[in-house]
Amino acid sequence: MPEGILCNKTPIKTDEQLKLVLSDSRGTKYYAEMLELEVDSDALWALIQKTMKSRTKTWFEICAHCGLCANSCFLYQVNGRIPQQVPSYKIQSTLGEIVKKKGKVTNEFMRHCMDVAWSQCTCCNRCGMYCPHGIDMGVMFGYLRGLLYSQGFVPWELKIGSGMHRVYRAQMDVTTEDWVETCEWMAEETEEEWPGLEIPVDKQNADIMYTCNAREPKHYPEDVAEAAILFHVAGENWTVPSEGWEQTSLSMFAGDWECCKDNVQNVYDAIERLNPKRATGTECGHAHRATVIEGPYWTGRPDGLPPVPYIHYVEWLAEALRTGKLKIDPAKRIKEPVTLQDSCNYVRNQGLKDVTREIISYIVEPGYFVEMSPTKEHNYCCGGGGGFNGIGMYREQRNVALRTKMDQILDTGCKLVIAPCHNCWDAIRDLEEEYEIGIRWSFLKPLIIGMLDVPEHMLPKDEE
Amino acid sequence: MFKKIILATTGSPASFGAARVAFDMAKRYGSEVTIFHVLGVPTKAFSHVVNDVRTGEEVEVDADYLAWVEEELKTTYAKQFAGAENAKIVLATGMPPREILREARSQDADLIVMGASSGDSAKYQRGYPGSTLQKVAKAARCPVLTVHRESASYWGGFSNILFGTDFSKQATSAFKFALNTARELDCDLTIFHALDISGKVLDQDQIEEQLIVARKRIRATYVPQMGDFKNFDIEVWEGAPYVEIVKLAREKQVDLIVMAHHAHELDAEKAKIGSTVEQVIVRANCPVVSVSKPDKV
Repeated sequence: MPEGILCNKTPIKTDEQLKLVLSDSRGTKYYAEMLELEVDSDALWALIQKTMKSRTKTWFEICAHCGLCANSCFLYQVNGRIPQQVPSYKIQSTLGEIVKKKGKVTNEFMRHCMDVAWSQCTCCNRCGMYCPHGIDMGVMFGYLRGLLYSQGFVPWELKIGSGMHRVYRAQMDVTTEDWVETCEWMAEETEEEWPGLEIPVDKQNADIMYTCNAREPKHYPEDVAEAAILFHVAGENWTVPSEGWEQTSLSMFAGDWECCKDNVQNVYDAIERLNPKRATGTECGHAHRATVIEGPYWTGRPDGLPPVPYIHYVEWLAEALRTGKLKIDPAKRIKEPVTLQDSCNYVRNQGLKDVTREIISYIVEPGYFVEMSPTKEHNYCCGGGGGFNGIGMYREQRNVALRTKMDQILDTGCKLVIAPCHNCWDAIRDLEEEYEIGIRWSFLKPLIIGMLDVPEHMLPKDEE
Repeated sequence: MFKKIILATTGSPASFGAARVAFDMAKRYGSEVTIFHVLGVPTKAFSHVVNDVRTGEEVEVDADYLAWVEEELKTTYAKQFAGAENAKIVLATGMPPREILREARSQDADLIVMGASSGDSAKYQRGYPGSTLQKVAKAARCPVLTVHRESASYWGGFSNILFGTDFSKQATSAFKFALNTARELDCDLTIFHALDISGKVLDQDQIEEQLIVARKRIRATYVPQMGDFKNFDIEVWEGAPYVEIVKLAREKQVDLIVMAHHAHELDAEKAKIGSTVEQVIVRANCPVVSVSKPDKV
């Protein structure tokens, strides 16, 4: 059986197919079909020839096999330091082999590559910083994922994930109507405590356009309300688009390149349509990477930049606090030991380490902030990045991976962890659930709302 | 006024009191009742893997699992279902308070009925402080009826309503609800204010003066709104408000207490101290309705 009904080389493009694959509990049938999935070596080799550019070729050639990348990889460290977990080995023995064999590899080998690409690398890019030649194996694994996806060798959840993006243009089944209705709902629910608060949808020429993660309207709409409260208090002229509001990209985790481009284009189209001066997104790492860092290249923008300056939420927050648009009541600052998780996707990969620390300086009483070790761009992945959190088949491996972050947190002695990234937030929640070390964790939004010094005229009128 | 009732339930024994009231109202007043159950909190990916709210186990939500949960609920409420024509089961995944509010909004429900602390498992508290009830009561557009204890005095139907007021804006809505319910169901209505002296040592003259003021205030605020409705009386005295409300309800064999719910701190630690209405909910021998919005009264 070359192509399965559920597991095949065709992306999920219809709601029908999406529901069909989703109804296959735990992907049992999907993975069974994968055992029989034929590798189209010619197509694979043709794709490599077309897409593997000089950087990757050079990286393969100049790798000195020195092994200096080994210790940089938290998965190597946390998995007994076995040679199979050395980044250079991981990529040479997978992508390297496929290239060497000009795509003539077996089904079994492709499945092995899938395991390595999604359970032994979170694309955190830490190895690239430690390699003397600057070889970034995270980037290479991202590329390998694309090749595997094109041949249908992708974990069940991520096949569905990119299918969601293709069908709903969101990582979950949230339609435009659902989204707009959620904005109305949250404005209604919040305006009593915040008189005058609005969530303006599709407002032209706003100063800033806000995008988010489908998880928020789907399960945690209070996050949308919190964003609205902070924009409201800051007096920001802001808007959300009715289309192109979803900033995340499970398709990036899946290696569905065509869909990656479509996701980002959809957001850029919203920018072109509404003409905001700037854009910002929610506290999410990979969404920022997809839309702001990688996106311009996917969509072929010649300047390598989004259509308007697209800042991360932490940049907006830091700016609002710095300029006094948002004021913190010093009495309400955090007065307990607190640590900060650095999201790989915007700290290591974009350099926003000082921005998050500037925010910390406003909201934490001096002396209570404890850095993790290592920290900033050297900090480790939360343990669940790159799609790792969401893949049932690799849950055990993911739980092992969480131990690095757990040890780092335990070493700080803090009971409160600030995690301004959805993926990190989820991973830290899961690590508490798995290992019960007695910590709390939070995004920035709710913390800051709790310590705002709100101008008198914004408070609800006295009740009596 | 009770056309659409949502019974938000975990299906655990702690929710039986709430279920009894909801089904009884459905039969007595011809309400449509939706048994709304949030079966799990999503853990990862597309909400297909959830922590079951009852067991805390990680389960995959598929057709089989949904059918099984529905069957369980039907068995749990078999007796009540027998005579209820307008009852249906709706299952959802998500954070319970959020999904209850979503369902109430989409149905434009008239009343949410729930237990106060049935299955608040640690699983879905994590990262989100505040109990399900507090969050629902704070944001719901419609009144929220809570049954915490097995409603010893609740024999079916409502005939004797106690409205406790603190003269707040929310109390205005709560009063309207109490009055309309009393009118519609032909109940006696007691309007009560407890002068809060808990923790204070006050001069007795001062107390009595304030009692007179409060009584006048009730007459000025609520009496004009009642028109031809005469089945009411007014009580005012001093004490710790929640204690006095519970005592008065017991004394008068009240079968429904109506109070305002204030939007307040959801921080778990601070919320533990609890507002008056929360204290009344956990102590009262009858259902307690909390009202915070003017929409559905």
